Amino acid sequence: MSGRQMKLGAFLWATGHHIAAWRHPQAHVTAGVDIDHYIQLARTAEAAKFDMIFCEDAAGVREANVNIASQTSRSIGFEPISLLAALAVQTSRIGLVSTASTSYNEPYGLARTFLSLDHLSGGRAGWNLVTSASPIEAANFGSTGLRPHADRYERAREFAAVVTALWRGKLDGVSGPGHDGRSFSVRDPLDLQRSPQGAPVMVQAGASDEGRDLAARTADVVFTAAQTFEEAKAFYDDLKRRLPAYGREPDDIKIMPGVAPVAAETESEAREKYEELQELIPDDVGVALLSSYLSISDLWRYPIDGPLPELPASEGMQSRQALVIEQSRRDNLSIRQLARHFAGARGHWRVVGTPAQIADELEARFEGGAADGFNVMPSYFPGELYTFAALVVPELQRRGLFRKEYEGRTLRHHLGLKRPA
Amino acid sequence: MMRGSNDRGNGAAMKLAVSLRPGEAPSDVRASAGPDFTLLARFVQKAEAAGLDMVLLADSAPVAGGPSNSQVPFESTTLLAALATVTSKIGLVAAASTVAHLPYNLARRFASLDVISHGRAGWHATMVPDPPEAANFSRQEGFSRDDFRRRAEEFIGIVQGLWRGWDADALLFDQHGGRFFDPEKMHLLDHKGEFFSVRGPLNVARSPQDTPVLVLSGLSGPDMDIGARVADVILLDEPLVAGAKADDLKRHAVAFGRNPGAIKVLMNVAPGAEMAARPDVIADRLEESFRSNCCDGFNILMPPLESVLDDFVDLVLPKLRRRGLVHPDYRNAALRSHLGLAGEEGR
Ligand SMILES: Cc1cc2nc3c(=O)[nH]c(=O)nc-3n(C[C@H](O)[C@H](O)[C@H](O)COP(=O)(O)O)c2cc1C
Repeated sequence: MSGRQMKLGAFLWATGHHIAAWRHPQAHVTAGVDIDHYIQLARTAEAAKFDMIFCEDAAGVREANVNIASQTSRSIGFEPISLLAALAVQTSRIGLVSTASTSYNEPYGLARTFLSLDHLSGGRAGWNLVTSASPIEAANFGSTGLRPHADRYERAREFAAVVTALWRGKLDGVSGPGHDGRSFSVRDPLDLQRSPQGAPVMVQAGASDEGRDLAARTADVVFTAAQTFEEAKAFYDDLKRRLPAYGREPDDIKIMPGVAPVAAETESEAREKYEELQELIPDDVGVALLSSYLSISDLWRYPIDGPLPELPASEGMQSRQALVIEQSRRDNLSIRQLARHFAGARGHWRVVGTPAQIADELEARFEGGAADGFNVMPSYFPGELYTFAALVVPELQRRGLFRKEYEGRTLRHHLGLKRPA
Repeated sequence: MMRGSNDRGNGAAMKLAVSLRPGEAPSDVRASAGPDFTLLARFVQKAEAAGLDMVLLADSAPVAGGPSNSQVPFESTTLLAALATVTSKIGLVAAASTVAHLPYNLARRFASLDVISHGRAGWHATMVPDPPEAANFSRQEGFSRDDFRRRAEEFIGIVQGLWRGWDADALLFDQHGGRFFDPEKMHLLDHKGEFFSVRGPLNVARSPQDTPVLVLSGLSGPDMDIGARVADVILLDEPLVAGAKADDLKRHAVAFGRNPGAIKVLMNVAPGAEMAARPDVIADRLEESFRSNCCDGFNILMPPLESVLDDFVDLVLPKLRRRGLVHPDYRNAALRSHLGLAGEEGR
């Protein structure tokens, strides 16, 4: 098959993406302290020819309520850059992408660290730029609280420009010799050699207007959350439309929405598997997670079987908030229903069914111009990564929608991205 | 005397670290195609096979005006993570600057490295003021000597505090009861200081060796108190005054309520070409310093070249072993245990 093929990311996250994953008998409950578990996952993803491993990041225990936090497995885990550096020398082909915040790092250090990861992996590293929306993280970096959305993005724009310049060995291009900007100053070029893939891959998550604009300007890959085909398509078209303004072509950016698949040989088995997980979610955990998506703290005050209250616009995740509200109105969901719904897939698109049904869904979005690929978010690890690799990947390969072998050695090559000058 | 002759009589082994010193290799090696992890991995595996306590990974600050093309062409913490997966016993210590990192991020990175390495990680912080990297980290104005010291001290305190944020038995993994951890065993730091404000806790589990090992170097007079209070290992130059300093440090440590054995003082030595030519002389010199209680061991600076390590391991080390100065084996996997630090904290 020589047609266009979809890109696949294996989004690894401790015990799994489902909020109650850690309670599942087939989840590896000590995942957050077991490096061998991650090495195994990375090799599984590589054997299945995934383009990349993807890690999210938060510089803090994101759940403020310790009783809620203690009922989930998300309060402890590996720091992703050290994790990926360990995986870099235990794999040979798969890309390694980690999230890191522009709000709590300096561009010189971040550029240098990711370039080092790129060298360790022989050109397989990528950075997922986020501006970080949680006030709890902010409290680990000062006493002045979360910066306003617009300020975060202003800082992010300068940050991204400096990092890109450093990776390309063109620090001068930013502003005179070295860089002396509003948020950052940098005197020297990096003391490491140029990346084997020209520059590490730039990924971005953040879907507000400013986020999309920054992506259009600098990102190679965009990670996004979209529930329906229409939402995904609208986001896709909007982002690709922004590219010409920055002298870029539609193919210069790969848009990869998250997908939370629940696959089994038969549809009823898949539904059972999903229901089994949903049963494991405690109500207070579901509501707390929903509150964090909505950036409000007192959702628990409202009747759990009633509708969402009216919400003010927030300084946090504007895009995710809009998504949740829209879904609640559209499907007329109660707080509990909404909480369970989002807890399961963390606001991402969930597909439950047979390998053929899941492949149909992915194919429809891919061929329908709503995605260039998908960031796959298995419910629990390692089991559901095995399931996806064993059942869904072969189905996609059979249809010619996904590679059977790696064609190259760098992440840029896997993704079909140009090598930067 | 803080440590009399019985210390040695009990057979306390000479601690041995190797420091990969950047920028020291011959030019033909420097010109090679690209960064080579495999060579560094072989070097560290060889050090492990020889039973050395730890390898220190430098993190070079770039020289003004051009790329320095360092001999350790990776950032130190990422290199440490990679090396951790290809070794199983030797301690791995990475240098990381208090100017280039923020305390929460640094504490988190090293806590994670310690879990990845199963308790073999250490952080090497230098107290040398006015670090050149300040200019690349939005600090063109640099720091005054005094600000740098106070800031570094606060920074280190935060990092060590964050490392203790989770009790060793905090994680319950109780799938059936729905209790992943015990909320009573997670502690906020709530630090509000002159330079930093950090709420905590870390989102990384407690270290398998209690906390990563803290190595300090570049201490000048006023830093000695800091070293005595917080360091696990102190690296000293200047062999002549090292004896006095080591004793001083341990006396200070006791004044801060620590056991004298809770600090190990290593002397930096750079034996260079002498090692191959006159291994006896080197062994004598090390033995003499060690027996005179100048230090608990040595940090041997060398370029990351197997041939140089070979000289030390094949020519000098056997002599030290024969003289009963060096333990032949690792007794346990944790770095704290190699260094005789486990259970030594008197607090
Ligand atoms: C799909 C998706 C994934 C994200 N993942 C992370 C993450 O791992 N860590 C993080 O701090 N922020 C993450 N963010 C949020 C970013 O911090 C983003 O900058 C924030 O949503 C505010 O920007 P926005 O309003 O443009 O979305 C994510 C956002 C999206 C849309």
